[in-house]
Amino acid sequence: MTDSLTLPPPALAAGGPPRGLPRLLPDAGTVPVDLRAHLAMHGPLRAPGGRDGLLREVAAAGLTGRGGAAFPVARKLAAAAEARPAPVVAGNGAEGEPASGKDRSLLWIAPHLVLDGLQLAAGAAGSRSTVLYVPRNERLHGRLAGAIAERAAAGMDAARVELVTAPDRFLAGEESALVSRLAGGPALPAYRPVRGLPRLAPGRAALVQNVETLAHLALIARYGAAWFRAAGTGAEPGTMLATLHLADGRTSVVEVPLGAGLAGLLGLDARPGPAEAGAAAPGVPSAFGPVQAVLVGGYHGAWLPAAEAAALPLANAALRPLGAMVGAGVLAALPADRCGLAETARVARYLALESAGQCGPCFNGLPRIAAAMEHLAGPRPDPRARADLERWTGLVTGRGACHHPDGSVRFIRSALRVFAAEARVHEQGRCGGTDPRPFLPVPAGAPATDEDWS
Amino acid sequence: MTGITSSTALWYASRATGVVTLLLLTAVVVLGILVNRQGRLPGLPAFAVTGLHRNISLLAVAFLAIHVVTAIADPYVTIGLAAAVLPFASAYKPLWLGLGAISLDLVAALILTSLARARMSRRAWRAIHWLGYAAWPLAVVHSIGSSADARNGLVLGVLVACVLATAAAVAWRLAHAAREVPRAGRAAAALSRVSARKAGL
Repeated sequence: MTDSLTLPPPALAAGGPPRGLPRLLPDAGTVPVDLRAHLAMHGPLRAPGGRDGLLREVAAAGLTGRGGAAFPVARKLAAAAEARPAPVVAGNGAEGEPASGKDRSLLWIAPHLVLDGLQLAAGAAGSRSTVLYVPRNERLHGRLAGAIAERAAAGMDAARVELVTAPDRFLAGEESALVSRLAGGPALPAYRPVRGLPRLAPGRAALVQNVETLAHLALIARYGAAWFRAAGTGAEPGTMLATLHLADGRTSVVEVPLGAGLAGLLGLDARPGPAEAGAAAPGVPSAFGPVQAVLVGGYHGAWLPAAEAAALPLANAALRPLGAMVGAGVLAALPADRCGLAETARVARYLALESAGQCGPCFNGLPRIAAAMEHLAGPRPDPRARADLERWTGLVTGRGACHHPDGSVRFIRSALRVFAAEARVHEQGRCGGTDPRPFLPVPAGAPATDEDWS
Repeated sequence: MTGITSSTALWYASRATGVVTLLLLTAVVVLGILVNRQGRLPGLPAFAVTGLHRNISLLAVAFLAIHVVTAIADPYVTIGLAAAVLPFASAYKPLWLGLGAISLDLVAALILTSLARARMSRRAWRAIHWLGYAAWPLAVVHSIGSSADARNGLVLGVLVACVLATAAAVAWRLAHAAREVPRAGRAAAALSRVSARKAGL
């Protein structure tokens, strides 16, 4: 999603951004912030009260991981502060999710916020060794190497920063895969320890935080917990970067407060008029064209009917009961003229091929499920295909070292629910999609050899 | 042998559940080898073989429990609780029952570690799971040694069938180890297998 780096400023529909935003990405949107501009904007990095002060402030702020799992950052930092020897601190910018572009945008535009956060996390962990794990992209790599050198020349960092390249794999940013890569192996997920931090080697723990999380950390250290909590909800405070796929095909990265309405973010009409009733595909009008369904939380997330999504906030408290989640902030408004089953089948195939090939239920089950999904998206599918899919998805859930089978199955099952009417239309030999162009981004090139994972 | 009386019921139950346990353990070993080598059974998705392996293991444990409890409770010979779990602690046929006790302990270790799999390291689980290969031959030798009727007739037939099935599975596994699909290509291989089958239908 490098194209999101050169997109015009975020397109916000109803009302525009709330006061005090954006925090992470400057208003200009696409111009990289160099060290001088960064210091002019935010001032030098301070850690009031030392390590304990920072831990208290982060706990009070209620910051959670922005990589998708929303784990409380204060708890991870506290565990890292207790680990002996000091853990390696890693900023995770791999962003293997093809529909997400926010980490790349942040690293490109505001690398110094991320590098500030990396230093703060290293300070909290008592570590002098840090890693920035980023996608294979020469321009981004060059820019980050330059930013690291700029800071080294200014003598402002206590901990050394090493750039490590992530392979272009969906699972490359999975925490245990990152740790395996740092240990010198391929970026493959592994069974993680039951509790505590993941380990690079016996006795050597790693503290892994998403790069956006680190950028928030840099701002909390400067402006405090109360400032951070001024945006977002009580239970889910702060802002987050979201990648929006609008119904007209445009994508953008925007910073939004948690709890913001999905309708406003995607330009959906929150009150669908009765005039729309009677249409074959009940689409909800939006500023960018009619929308039939919204994918929330990316390819391990869930589809929601557009009318349902239009009434929901971007908050786990509201989304989790519906089987969806905020995740890493991917929101895609599927236009009414596309086939949701075909979209799901394409992504399901991609997810199956991105299996690391380690756990049988994953590398045998997901391809079979993907093939059944493709069959369902085709003309006149066998009416038993849906029951087979329900059964098989149940068989792979919870059966992998990582959550790849669980996440993929969550996505596919949500499609079976949301596009149930479309499946019946297919069984009658028709298809509701009139525009055959792919909507959700799916990269070409499935892994074939072990080198593709390193 | 004029019929089942209350005193012979336990004896018969112990023998019968012993034979059934051996059959089930054989199925577990054969399915385990299939799971390990990504083998398939006709009409079952490859990943369902794992579920079958797991469920038959639990069934085998149920029969094994009845086998042991009825053997202890049977008044015909005195086998203490200790002799059922401690190898060679039995006064009656110490060697043959001892092998059975070791087999029982190994199966218990397999089941307990599999239930606690999410809470332990993958490597330790795997190492203990390899002991499954030892539990089966111990159970076979225990069957031959401790029961006279396993030396001829129907029970001998069952034993021979179990040994042949396991031998075939081991041979198949050794042959397959030579042409294993590399890890990175497994999902793609599975997808083309599924698609090829679909095209053939």
